[in-house]
Amino acid sequence: MSSSGNPSSSGGGGPCGACKFLRRKCVAGCIFAPYFDSEQGAAHFAAVHKVFGASNVSKLLQHVPEHKRPDAVVSICFEAQARLRDPIYGCVSHIVSLQQQVVSLQTELSYLQAHLATLELPQPQPPPVPVSSSGSLQALSITDLPSISPSVYDLSSIFEPVMSSTWAMQQQPRPSDHLFGVPSSSSIGGGGELQALAREFIHSGQMPAQPSPGTSGSGSTVIKRE
Amino acid sequence: MNPKRCAACKYLRRRCPKDCIFSPYFPPNDPAKFACIHRIYGAGNVSKMLQQLPDQTRAEAAESLCFEAKCRVDDPVYGCVGIIHLLQTQIEQTQNQLAKTQAEIAVAQTKLSQTHNSDFM
Repeated sequence: MSSSGNPSSSGGGGPCGACKFLRRKCVAGCIFAPYFDSEQGAAHFAAVHKVFGASNVSKLLQHVPEHKRPDAVVSICFEAQARLRDPIYGCVSHIVSLQQQVVSLQTELSYLQAHLATLELPQPQPPPVPVSSSGSLQALSITDLPSISPSVYDLSSIFEPVMSSTWAMQQQPRPSDHLFGVPSSSSIGGGGELQALAREFIHSGQMPAQPSPGTSGSGSTVIKRE
Repeated sequence: MNPKRCAACKYLRRRCPKDCIFSPYFPPNDPAKFACIHRIYGAGNVSKMLQQLPDQTRAEAAESLCFEAKCRVDDPVYGCVGIIHLLQTQIEQTQNQLAKTQAEIAVAQTKLSQTHNSDFM
């Protein structure tokens, strides 16, 4: 997939990947030409066409400013390939697993900050940590804590400031059907990072940054409704 | 017009058959849900995707498609990839804070043991 902005339409260079796939004439000003080259672009466009449809993608791109279209194409390809790999959950499964990772890390952080607070108290307090057979203190781990089951599609916590919350607060159940409580993320300016993320996914053939099993008590990425 | 048409058939202005693929997942009381998914994927593509899945998985598939469509409507450039990016940033920030806190704990524990040692001397 080419996102350099160089047109691949005919004029000597042959049809772009999209028009090659659609078996149609690639006209000058083809909306897909800058983003789907005639070699690998056809394969990427096949996925996009299967999930979204050519006309829907064309409409989407027309409503996006031109300088943002490369990023839009990358994200659309990412979602299309995720959906083909996982026809039930698409890239939502990846979102859920990342969300679980965030909850797990924030819980561990709260626990450690509480522990730090006890160490910094004026009176010496016995630290509540297990001691290994070697005699040295072990680092606190998430496995010392009860497991937490975050709800599906509740992404409101993503947009809270990254700050320490008390360990007790983490135990509160969240509303289970907080669908679509997601503010716009259009302020993201990391176009280069996004393209790197998407290229890593597209070229390696697997989702990036998968959490290791057992981090939050459940290594599965299967979504469970509460 | 049949008042019991699902949201999809109402939107598409067609009769809602008994075996309508959309009706279990797009009830008539939530027309915006189907409008959103139709805008991004198109009814035909959604129908094909659901038909290729076993019955018991279609509800989850419809929900995840709706979620992704809503993300794309809200953010036409990044869609739910924007959320993935935010989550990864949040993970990185939290990991940095964890490392910092673990270092602070190590320092505090060292000071504490030094205090205890000097008390015994």
